[in-house]
Amino acid sequence: MNSKAYRLVILSLFVSMALILSYVESLIPVPLPIPGAKIGLPNIITLVSLLTLGWPLTLLVVIARVLLAGFMFGGGFSIIYSLAGGLLSLFIMTLILHFSRNDFSLIIISIFGAIAHNLGQVIVASIVVQTSSLMLYFLFLMLLAIPTGFFVGITARELMRLLKKTTIFNRLNN
Amino acid sequence: MKKKEIIVIAILLIISLGGIALFYIINATDQALSVRVTSNGEVVAVLPLSEDHTETFKAADGGYNTLVISDGKAKITDADCRDKICVKTYPISSPGETIVCLPHKLVVEVITGES
Repeated sequence: MNSKAYRLVILSLFVSMALILSYVESLIPVPLPIPGAKIGLPNIITLVSLLTLGWPLTLLVVIARVLLAGFMFGGGFSIIYSLAGGLLSLFIMTLILHFSRNDFSLIIISIFGAIAHNLGQVIVASIVVQTSSLMLYFLFLMLLAIPTGFFVGITARELMRLLKKTTIFNRLNN
Repeated sequence: MKKKEIIVIAILLIISLGGIALFYIINATDQALSVRVTSNGEVVAVLPLSEDHTETFKAADGGYNTLVISDGKAKITDADCRDKICVKTYPISSPGETIVCLPHKLVVEVITGES
């Protein structure tokens, strides 16, 4: 199998895994009266994909996951919020990964990704309902993003540690 | 975890917690409070928070949200939107707190002053 086809297989695996995690996440009720609060499980895959495939292909993973998850188990309307959050999150994580990989581990990158995700969603929500009073709401989401981002970061780190022991990614960089 | 990372996490915690605290401190007031209902960017009702009141707001797309004010707190008790996020939002009673129904583009917020 050539490298291009191999890449495609890995890419498809990431999309399907992220999709499953989106579904699992939609089944977990968040016991907080803060609307829109989520754990961010699909971000585990985004992080792993970012480290193995790089950002251009991860962009595809994120867009495919958001669209598919939106059509399958979200309201049709929720897609634009997820997309805004997912893209801003990916953008911020790529920046940190690119410029200060040595300073910060996956945990910090994941936390910033989670906060950026919330920020993207709140910005789009503010535009849609034409209000500027969602600041307090964002601060609550940001507070919550710290522990969830931490958890997602640790999971992604451990997953990477285990995956590096396998030969799965060896053929990617050829 | 490196020391630098713990500092970053601490700063983020301080920003969010401090921001929330600051928000409530700045907006704290002895004045009477009202509830402002905005639909699609236009104010459709301003109701005093001190009086118990129930009202159903129709959205442009034909949907509805039922707002209940009781014991100085405002809450959306019923809506026909798909996610019911507004119904799950905690009751609001402090200035600046909001309940948002994204599908119906409805915003309920507590403001300072009578109507």
